[in-house]
This record gives sequence, structure tokens and C-alpha cells, in this order.
Amino acid sequence: MDWNRIVGEAFGQRQMPEDDVIDELAQHADSAYQAARAEGSSGDEAERRVRELLQAWSADPDVLTRRPRRPSTVVPPKASASGLAGLLGDLRYALQLMRRQWTHTLVVVLTMALGIGASTVLFSVVYGVLVKPVPWPDADRLVRLLETRQGSTRPMRFFTNVTFLAWADKPATIERIGGWSSGRMTLSGTTGAERVIVAEVTSELLPLLGARLALGRPFDIDPANALDQHQVVIDDRLWHERFGGRRDVLGQVLRLDGASYRIAGVMTPSFGFPSRETRAWIPFVVKPGGLSMFQAIARLNPGVTPAQAQAEANARGRAAPDPGLVVMAVFGSKGPVQVSVVPLIESITGEVRPALFLLLVAAGLLLAAATANVASLQLARAMNRRREFAIRAALGAGGGRLVRQLLVENTLLGLVGGGFGLVLAAWLVRGLPSLLPADFPRIADIAIDWRVAAFSIGLSFAASIFFGLAPALHAGRVKLAPSLAEDGLAPVGGGTRTATARARLLLMAGQVAVAAVLLVGAAVLGRSFVALISADRGYDPSRVLTARLPLPDATYTPVRRAAALERVVDHLKRVPGVTAAAVSTGLPLVPGDTLAGFNMRSPRDGRDVQVHTSIRHVSPGYFEALRLRIRDGRGFTESDTAAARGVIVVNRVFARRYLGDKPVGSRVPSSYKHGETEAEVVGVVDDVSNGAVTDPVAPELYRCSLQLSDGFDDDVPSLIVRTAGEPLGVVPVLRSIVSGEDASVALESVMTMENRLATSLAKPRLYALLLGAFAVFALTIAGVGLFGVLSRIVSLRTREIGVRTALGAAPADVVRVVLQQAMVVTTGGIVVGLAISAAVGRYVSQLLYGVTPYDPVSYSVVSIVLILVVIVACIVPARRAARIDPARVLR
Amino acid sequence: MTTHLLKRELKRGSTELLVLALLEEQPRHGYDIARLIDERSQGSITYQVASLYPTLYRLENRDLIEGRWVEKAGQRRRRYYRLLPAGRKVLASQRSVWEGFFAGLDRVAHLTQG
Repeated sequence: MDWNRIVGEAFGQRQMPEDDVIDELAQHADSAYQAARAEGSSGDEAERRVRELLQAWSADPDVLTRRPRRPSTVVPPKASASGLAGLLGDLRYALQLMRRQWTHTLVVVLTMALGIGASTVLFSVVYGVLVKPVPWPDADRLVRLLETRQGSTRPMRFFTNVTFLAWADKPATIERIGGWSSGRMTLSGTTGAERVIVAEVTSELLPLLGARLALGRPFDIDPANALDQHQVVIDDRLWHERFGGRRDVLGQVLRLDGASYRIAGVMTPSFGFPSRETRAWIPFVVKPGGLSMFQAIARLNPGVTPAQAQAEANARGRAAPDPGLVVMAVFGSKGPVQVSVVPLIESITGEVRPALFLLLVAAGLLLAAATANVASLQLARAMNRRREFAIRAALGAGGGRLVRQLLVENTLLGLVGGGFGLVLAAWLVRGLPSLLPADFPRIADIAIDWRVAAFSIGLSFAASIFFGLAPALHAGRVKLAPSLAEDGLAPVGGGTRTATARARLLLMAGQVAVAAVLLVGAAVLGRSFVALISADRGYDPSRVLTARLPLPDATYTPVRRAAALERVVDHLKRVPGVTAAAVSTGLPLVPGDTLAGFNMRSPRDGRDVQVHTSIRHVSPGYFEALRLRIRDGRGFTESDTAAARGVIVVNRVFARRYLGDKPVGSRVPSSYKHGETEAEVVGVVDDVSNGAVTDPVAPELYRCSLQLSDGFDDDVPSLIVRTAGEPLGVVPVLRSIVSGEDASVALESVMTMENRLATSLAKPRLYALLLGAFAVFALTIAGVGLFGVLSRIVSLRTREIGVRTALGAAPADVVRVVLQQAMVVTTGGIVVGLAISAAVGRYVSQLLYGVTPYDPVSYSVVSIVLILVVIVACIVPARRAARIDPARVLR
Repeated sequence: MTTHLLKRELKRGSTELLVLALLEEQPRHGYDIARLIDERSQGSITYQVASLYPTLYRLENRDLIEGRWVEKAGQRRRRYYRLLPAGRKVLASQRSVWEGFFAGLDRVAHLTQG
């Protein structure tokens, strides 16, 4: 029964309520009719009852008026308004529109805020770390000096006394040269002992940096007078903590590692060199003879380039006396001196530079995707407002007038979004110090200052112009007649017919492409990080506790130290849950190897070879504690004592390079006591990567600490404990054992080996996580954007789909039509995205380990993920399409 | 005659209360509302359906409720109404007015004693 018709007839033409009301009453009539029939009434009886109802309704049709569809109560500004008043009018109108369409506003503002926020944070990091001048006067003339030998494959890490002294004598290209080395010392006093970072600096270094003292003077020392060298300059924090900021601190005594230093000055709070954590500076005299290594910087003469300085340094270094065989041990090559002179800022930040640029580009891509998404939303809205524009044009508003109006609206939206983005960025930047790895350079220099804010606002402005331009161009072209004639019903096939629809699809494909690029980057970095963490380092870092135990020279002779260590290790071994315990002169991932060079007769052919190797003193149990695999022979045992024959263990690189086919049993010049010249190789252990996995493994020679007749001479030995359970559970026992041995010493750097590993990988992890977060965000906006575009297409094609269904198309066919369109867009986006990823791959390769930038797994996974997201985004619009009721559409 | 008049007045005044109370439970369409009033009052409030839609539209105009078309596959589209926050407030105040009214009636006319 056609209830709509019957209801309509009941009212009569004269007083017909609006269609919606008729529809609602017809629905009620239908339900009442069905109910009456269900109760057993005959068809006629049921119809009679309903007609009674209709009569009651139509008695007073006036009360059947619904609130008319509220037309925009926002009154557009006058067409003729121009100048400032016009602009203010536009602004007011835009604000009203923003309030009225608050969900739309919220989506746009949030999208822009995230895009701008991410870009601003990255810009502030790049600016603060890479661009902002370092805080020292004429910092652009400061250069870092590093030295190696031609033919060496080891990374350059230091400068040598030989080249330093040769160059410091009347240099031509530099004003001054300064050296330093930094480490921890035990600061003792009335308030207890603590380990603090102290830098030994040459007397030239502080003036070279333009350091100004708050109190006193920088030390000026006589290299010949050893007593003169016991001076110290303390930092502001130490001054306040230990001396209450009193001015009579000068001349007082500070005890470092048991020795007395006279306080010569107090540094200003802003000075932090070599690091912000440096608490004190003591004199360092570069002595001739032998080969010593330290850090060095120089100040270039005005107008001199680093290359010119480098040429002079090379010439001076090569003319200096040859320190002999030790060069081989240190550099692994006896080639001529090779100095590298790089601007200080570059040397501080060089390591993070490629990653920061990569992340900045990623943030830019994210912003581009966000902007494209907003542009697409604004275009859709402009389509919905065609009638408004057409009517206003008809009332006399020129095309330019409407364009200005739209630009004002969009710029306002963009700036509000940018404002929120800036707030978000400020909040994130405040949290950065706890987020960034501790060794990240120049963390203190990262801040939101006016430059960063200007960047952010400029970016929002540019983005709004971009996403406002498309709708504005569209509005400028509005044709009066067709827009007014068109009744919101698109012609059949309208999905891609119009330029606007095509523009939206193109923007959509762009968003998918950006998401693909970011996802590939995140996937590749993520896989690289997994490869780094699971790489075979030659030992098993799980369930190992490590700590460093400072036993300073002032209170411990090497012999006394060796005895104390033996007692500590013996104690530890008896703790329940400890499966192995050892002491050594070093730990994997902790820099500070002892290097040695010597000649030996090769067991292979009896010829003399020059050996250069790092040397480590370890107690029996070291290999067990680290689960360092023994490949041949044996490790050290408790019976390898000073009384027994001297024995050593070498790593595979050592064995392969110097010992030939049968390394075990070979004799190597490495004496433990007087009268002994050689020790016997009793075992070969696996190579251990002591630093980054990517560094080449160097030859390594292990000596047994029990056999050292002169005692243990490293004043900060390392303890290694393997446990059956959670390694940190042993910490309290370890502390009590140590304080039982000597209450005045404190353990430092107590960490599980896994934790050390994680810390050493903090940067790659951060990069992977950041890129991952960007990728997830890009994926979300692409998904949501696609959903919006498809929903719009479905509603535009309602008529077409209705016609198709009426003509016999099954719901599946209709769904396919929608999916097809989505798939064309996405596939295009994915292909472009993957192509871009492949094209830029080589810029990323230096950040990767164990995976190529063209990793097929990552590419496939990314494609699958994107297609899945597209399918999810399609489900709702496709179902809606399939449910379109042809009868309603065609009525 | 007087009883009949009182009943009609009561009915008209209570329409809003009934509609708001039913929408408080969940969104409903017009026929559903009419049916529930009939069912729950066990026929004692046979409701003048003619006044239902004017009431709904009036409440909607006052932003107390909101109507929305919902389509389900294979069914007529239906207009569902839901209670808006302002409607919830009006419902609460009407309830207390009616409670007061009944308490007064009871004190005077001893309704509950039967």
C-alpha cells in the first residue's frame, strides 16, 4: 500500500506538510496498519482504523510543521566590502563558520597541528644542534683536530703529543692549539666521596675557547714545576655544592683521587666544555717522548681555511721524530701522519647529521600529507558551498571577492592549526632531554625560540595558502547557471568527471604515496635496529651484571688492588644465583682499551712480524661470565697463578693474523714477571665487537690477572657477574661485598650488559621509533582521508548506483565499483611511494645495518599494510553503496 | 462530564512528560512511542495520536529532542528521536512538578486510600 500517497491525499494539496513529515506519518500509518492486521483485523478494518488516524492528523495541519532546515544563520559579509573593513568582515564570517562547523574545524585544526608540530620539533632540533652557533666567541674559527696514519683503517678518535708539540711551536695557520682529556675522579671531602667528571686541559685551552671565569684566573703553569700543576678551576655547580658559593674559595684545597689541588678559579655557569657535566678542570702538560693520545682543538687565524691548517699540520707532524713501533699498535699502520681539521660544530654533530636531515625530511613529508588531506577536505566543502557562492555571485560579489573570502577562511584555519602545532611542539621539546639518548650532542641548545616560532608560523601560512588555493580557484570559476540549476544530484558517473573530484583523488594518491615512503623508511630502520640488537657480538649479553669499581692509586697499590679484587670476586662467586664472576680491565662497549705493539717471530714462517693488539687483563671466569666462546684450547683457570707458567689467550683475529694454523702452544713475547720473556697461548676465543657492531674487530690478547706479579694497575677495574636469574637482583649483595672490602669506595656504572647494549643503540632505536610514529600518523590521515573521499563519491553517485541496482546489479557489483576506484588511487599512490623510497634509498643506507634500503620484505609488508588500510577505509562507504534503495533514489 | 474534561487536560499536559521519559531510555521512532504509551499505561491513557507528532516537532523546535532519519536495508526509513541535554533538564523539572501535583492531590483527595 502506498502510504505516502494516501497520507498526502488526506491532507489535500492546499495544506500539504513538507515531504519529511508526510514520510514520517506514512511510516506510522504503515506500522499501525501492520499491527492491526497482526491482531487479526481484516484488511478493510485495518485500513479504516488508519484512515481515522489520518483524519485526526489532518484536522490541524498547521501544528505539523517541523523547524525548517536551518539555513546558514551566519550572514555572509557584504559583496561590496573592501579594504580593512571588508577584511574584518571576512574574518568575522570565517570565525562564525568555524564555530558552526566545529567538527570540520576540529579535524582540520588537529591534522594541521600534528603536521606543524612534528615539523617544528624537528626544525628546532636541527636548528639547535646543527645550525645554531656554538657558544664560544668566533666559534667558526674553532676546529677539532684528529690524527691517524696513512693506511690505517681504524676510526680517528684522538690527537698525539708528537704532532701537537711539533705544531704548537710557532704555527702559521692557527692562533693557538689546546689539548684535553676527560675522565672521572674521586672527589673526597667532608661531605663524602663522589665520582665527578674532571677534564685535564692544557693551559692554552681555556683562553682558546674564550672561557671567562667568575672568580680567580685560569691556571698559568710552569711545565717544569710539578707542584705548580696541582691547581684546579671548578665549575659553578661544584662551587655552590661544596663551597656554598663563597668568594674566599680561591686558594682552598680540593682533593681529587687522593691528591690535593689548589683552587685557582671558578668558571661561569654557561661554560660547559668538553661536556656540560664537567665539574672541574686541572692542568695537563703535553710531554714529549713516546706516544700519548688526547683530544685537541685549535683556533684558526682569520681567513685561514681548515684545509690550509690541515696541510700545515700534516707537514709538521711528518717532520716530527718518529715515536717508533707504538705507532703501529695505536694506528695499525706506520704510514705518514694524517691530520683531519674539521670545524668544531661539525665534529660535535657530524654523527647525528644524516639522521636529523632524514627525520626533517620525514616531518616535511608528514606536513605535506597533512596539508594535502586538509586541501582535500576544503575542496569537498567548497563543493558543498557552490550554491552559496553562486547566489552571492548572483547578488554581485565578484570572483575576486569570493577568492579573498576563501583565502581568509583557510588562512585562519591554518594559523589556528599552526598555533596549536606550536604549542604541541613546545610541549614536546620540553620533554626532549629525557627522550634523547644521553650522548646526543647539544641537547641544551634545543629550544623553541623566535626563529623556530617564525618558522612554524611561516609554515602554517604557506600550508594554508596551499590548501586554500584549490577551493579558491574553484570558487573563482563557479558558473552561475549550472550551479543554481544543479540540485546536488550529480550526473551518472560523477565520481571522476569533475576537475574537483579528480583533484581530490590526486591528493589522495599523494597521501598514500607519502605514507608508503614513511612506512618503508620506518620498516627498514626498524629491521636494521632489530639486526643491530640481535647481531652476534661474540658474547651473550643476557643475565650479565657489570659495574666499575674505582680503586684510586692514592690508596691502592697495584698489588693491594689485585688482592682486594680477588677477595671481591671470590665473595661474589659464593653468592647464590651467581654462576660466574670475574674482573677485567675493560668491558665490551666501554671505550678505553690498552694498546700495545711489539715484534715477534712468526710461528708460520719464522720471520719477524710487528704485532699490534689491544691487551686485556682478566681473571679466570671472564670467558664464562660473558659466555665468550672458546674456539680452541682452554680459558684461564684458578691454577694459572703467579707461580705457574705464564699463559695467554688470544682472539681469532690475533691467531689468524700472527699465529698461523696451530695457534695453541705458540709463544708470544708477553711477560708476567722478571726473567720470563714469553707466555704460551693456551686458548683462542671468539672475536668480540667491543664498540659498534660495524667496527672491524682488532687483534686482542687476554692476560690472566692472577699471574700479574706487579699487581692490577688499572685503577677503575670492571666487574662482570653472570646470574641464573634477574641480574639486577644481585646489586645489593654486590654493593655490600664492596663496602665490606672498603667502605670508602663506591661502585659506578652499575648496569646489566643488555642495558649497556640498549644504551649503545639508543640512537638507532630513537630514529626508528620517530620515523615509525610519523609513518603511523601519515597512515592514519591517509586512511581517514580515503574514507572521506570514498564516502563523498558514494553520496555523489547515489543516483547512478540506484539506477544500476534497479537495473539488476547485485550489491557485490556495486561494492566492486567503489573498491575499484579506491584501488586505482591506492595502487597509484603505493607504486609512486615505493619508487620514491627506492630512489632515495641510498641516502638512508649509511644509517642501516644488516638490511639494504631496498629490502624486499619491508616493501612487501608496507604494500600489504597499505592495501589493508584501504580496504578498511572502503568498508563503510561500500556497504552504504550496496544498501542504496533504488526505489527511494528514483522517486 | 467533569471527569472527562479533567482526564483530557491531564493527558495534554502530560504528553511532553511521557515523550521525554520514553526517549530518556533510548532513541525511538514515533510509532514506537505511541505504542509504548498505550502498552505501559495498560490502555488507561489511550493517547490521542493526533497530538503526538505536533508534540515531537514542538520539542524538536525547542531543542529538547533531536530527530534523525535512519535507514535499514529492506525497510522504510524511520525518523528516530533522541533526548538532548536540555530535554533531560526539562524532564527532571517536569517530573518534580508532577510529583508535587500528585502529592497535593493525594493530601486533598486521598487518592491512595482508594
